[in-house]
Amino acid sequence: MLFRKNDKNTTVSDGKFLARARKNDRLAAWLINTGGFLVILSVTSILVLIMKVAIPLFLSPEATVVSTIKPGGSAPTGEIKGMGVDDELRTGFLLDASGTVTFFDRRTGREIHKITITPPGGGSPTIASASDSGGGRFDILWDDGSFTAMKVSFRSQETGGSDQPAIPAVETMLEEKGTGGGPRPLLSVARFADENSPLRVDLLPGNRFSLSKTTATSDLAGNETVRKVRTPFGDEVPGNVTAVALDTEGEYLYAGTDTGRLLRYDLTDPEAPRLLDSVEANTNGHAVTAVNLVLGDNSVAVADADGSLSTWFPVSETGLGSGKTLTRIHSLARHDGAVTVILPASRSKTIYSLDKAGVVSADHMTSERRLLEMRTAKPLVRFAVSGGDNGAIALDADGNITFWHIDNPHPEVSLKTLFAPVWYESYDKPAYVWQSSAASDDFEPKLSLTPLIFGTLKGTVYAMIFAVPLALLGAIYTSQFMGARLKKYVKPAIEIMAAIPSVVIGFLAGLWLAPLLDKAIVSFFLAFAVIPLCVMLSILIWRRIGSLPRLKRVAPGCEFLLLVPALLIGVYVSHALGGILEASLFAGDLKLWLFNTTGVRSDQRNSIIIAFALGLAVIPLIFTIAEDALSNVPKNLSAASLAIGASRWQTAWRVVLPSALPGIFSAIMIGFGRAVGETMIVLMATGNTPILDWSIFNGFRSLSANIAVEIPEAPVFGTLYRILFLSAVLLFVFTFIINTAAEVLRQKFRKKYGRF
Amino acid sequence: MQSDTPRKISDPVLEIVDLNLYYGASQALKDISLTIPRKEVTAFIGPSGCGKSTLLRCFNRMNDLLDNVRIEGSIKLDGEQITGPDVDVISLRRRVGMVFQQSNPFPKSIYENIVYGLRIAGVKDKAVLNETVEKSLRGAAIWDEVKDRLHDSALGLSGGQAQRVCIARAIAVNPEIILMDEPCSALDPIATAKIEELINELKEQYTVVIVTHNMQQAARVSDRTAFLYLGELIEFDETRKIFTNPENRHTEDYITGRFG
Repeated sequence: MLFRKNDKNTTVSDGKFLARARKNDRLAAWLINTGGFLVILSVTSILVLIMKVAIPLFLSPEATVVSTIKPGGSAPTGEIKGMGVDDELRTGFLLDASGTVTFFDRRTGREIHKITITPPGGGSPTIASASDSGGGRFDILWDDGSFTAMKVSFRSQETGGSDQPAIPAVETMLEEKGTGGGPRPLLSVARFADENSPLRVDLLPGNRFSLSKTTATSDLAGNETVRKVRTPFGDEVPGNVTAVALDTEGEYLYAGTDTGRLLRYDLTDPEAPRLLDSVEANTNGHAVTAVNLVLGDNSVAVADADGSLSTWFPVSETGLGSGKTLTRIHSLARHDGAVTVILPASRSKTIYSLDKAGVVSADHMTSERRLLEMRTAKPLVRFAVSGGDNGAIALDADGNITFWHIDNPHPEVSLKTLFAPVWYESYDKPAYVWQSSAASDDFEPKLSLTPLIFGTLKGTVYAMIFAVPLALLGAIYTSQFMGARLKKYVKPAIEIMAAIPSVVIGFLAGLWLAPLLDKAIVSFFLAFAVIPLCVMLSILIWRRIGSLPRLKRVAPGCEFLLLVPALLIGVYVSHALGGILEASLFAGDLKLWLFNTTGVRSDQRNSIIIAFALGLAVIPLIFTIAEDALSNVPKNLSAASLAIGASRWQTAWRVVLPSALPGIFSAIMIGFGRAVGETMIVLMATGNTPILDWSIFNGFRSLSANIAVEIPEAPVFGTLYRILFLSAVLLFVFTFIINTAAEVLRQKFRKKYGRF
Repeated sequence: MQSDTPRKISDPVLEIVDLNLYYGASQALKDISLTIPRKEVTAFIGPSGCGKSTLLRCFNRMNDLLDNVRIEGSIKLDGEQITGPDVDVISLRRRVGMVFQQSNPFPKSIYENIVYGLRIAGVKDKAVLNETVEKSLRGAAIWDEVKDRLHDSALGLSGGQAQRVCIARAIAVNPEIILMDEPCSALDPIATAKIEELINELKEQYTVVIVTHNMQQAARVSDRTAFLYLGELIEFDETRKIFTNPENRHTEDYITGRFG
């Protein structure tokens, strides 16, 4: 009875216990699964969030028709000499042959305003030619030979809020009566680089040019003298001039001819214009049909009757001194027919061009991308781009006016500009360049990620070259040879090194080590020879005196402490020798000598510094993981090896090391991953120069440091901002690839070397 | 208390005289004196912690690997002192091989396991290596089982096979003495039987010293048995005598299972 009762009790409590155990089991399993899932989820969502910012870089630009109108009562299409649109795409305007500028509402087509300009001489108000100089500027040549430079502007209303359309205005900038004698020019262009001395270039019949510059100077007494220079030039024009473009400063004149030649004149001396270049714009002799300058005035876009579109800028000829020749740099997508008009965008190196077929195309010069095409049912005959690069207006053969909204936020980005060499303006050849900002507005950001990827790899490789041997040898010594008592202090000490904030390491490297090493670079290289020599000597000495009874009491496993004096002596000797050597061999300054004899520049913050600093950051990581792997090799394996008569070194090398290889490999890879992503040290100790050079005397700029440097300067959702996010994605992908490869290899090693 | 038996041993290989061993302050072996005969099997028995493995490890100086070990007294191998700091431990270990409780093949191929002792000695001659592998594996009675997979990892072997490979690895360097530290404690009865059979064969060429917990095993394989208790050598005699007519009461109690 008692027995049975006991039995029953036991069963009951067992059942309860088992139920509780099962419940705890389930709870633990659920917690672990949830935790794992959350980790994966958060990593994935971080990646998704970063990519979401980066992806719009690669979306194609879009032009959407926002409205099509047929303004009532406007002049016939053939009579339209110019057109434009305000930055908010609210008001368009047409300039007709009678000198009337008609403004109308974009949505309704209703006429808002009308301003008429008249020729300065009071002659017949008929426009012979008007050229669009960009930004609402038109240079009008009247039938009677007089000239008006005017500018259409939109002033936003002070009251009524932002919904109110801007008030249009027309400002006359220069008026000149026609000269009595001589033929009427075919085309006139004016420039106002210097407010007091406007400059005007005329294309005269007979393929000649005329340059006139009015200079107003006032002397001390306040008397104003006006000096007018008028110089004809262009005797050497081969063929008939078919297209003319003048840069904003009025310094260079570009002209294209019907024989397919491209000319460049230097107008800096108004009394003696000079022909700089006369080059073949195309090999087939097609007539040049349109010429215009690209934003920044360095490049000129040239189109011909065959529909080809290219950009040119002067490049130094190799081996021909300082002379620069106009060279075809970028060939853009072809048009189906002859190109009639080229207009530059005002905020990027985008070029808009209209061809005979009536299609407007937008191409980006540097990336050589065809961004978009704008066409309507009827062929377009004339177009203009808004000042903000966000819209376009075009007139078709039937007199319909179409407005486009253009969404083209990142025209300069393509896989090619990010990773391949790109021929930027005023460079002599295509190059990988990262230069995201500059002082001037018309600067083109150069956003090649290649130097940054290179910098990341360079820093990592040098750091690993320094760190891996030290960390692994240290781990082998600590796990296999060092006495247990000493190891108890050494291992935690090195692990604590991992806790040093990287900003401290970076600070020390950049501000203390770099100047120090800069002064003692010869001694540094000398130390590579002197210190091992001292160590060898100390070993020889130890062999002599090590058997003395007093020294024998040095506990086994602490012998390496004897290396400390050897190391100190080595440092001292190499420091002393370095100064002497530098004075005698390198004329007292290695850096100068290096530059003079080999052309190698030496920066203070260079890759040697980064190898030390970044190496120092990864050594504790590699050391501690490798040491664990080595210590975890079962003792009975090394015992077996020792028992068979192997020395400790043979045991470590032939038995312990191969068994620990998977762990050691993990250690190296984790160190590698850390070095790739390390930001602060690289930021502070490299100088952040984005150059492609393996030289250890130069710095570099890594992807991570670049993000840290540039993100405060990058406007949110701008091109630079998105590219920085793209480099974050790249870093992520790097780490992912490294870790995956490491894991795959580790599994392979593990299969090969067994259970450990 | 001590049973001195030198008169019975005509050809001693190891002579231990007044051996004391300390782990720090605690004494693990107390005044051990005994003589191990050549080409016989000597078994050390005794309860856990009696010092039999420690004694065994004195013979190839494996105790050197531990900190805080101090040894007094003398051990002579073929009349040559093997205690003290001036002994060449590496050549000693080549003369005194060892087989461990857990089979411990290296994570290499069977072939590389066997030739390890030769490789570390700098032997590179392929013919010598091949010959040694076959000879050692035959000597360890495992040649037929592994001859077709010499270049497979030794980690794929069963426990008994792995232990015999370890024995083959030990005899590959042609030692005088083979120390065995409970070589069968992790093996099943069939594998144990094979090892025991092998020990009987080994004594034709080698001196075998075996530590065992299993008294039947000691009775089966050994010619002489030493009984240790609390670091002291209680009795050392021919196995037959120890198991049939022990002189010491402690020995009798242990053998008959009254304690242990």
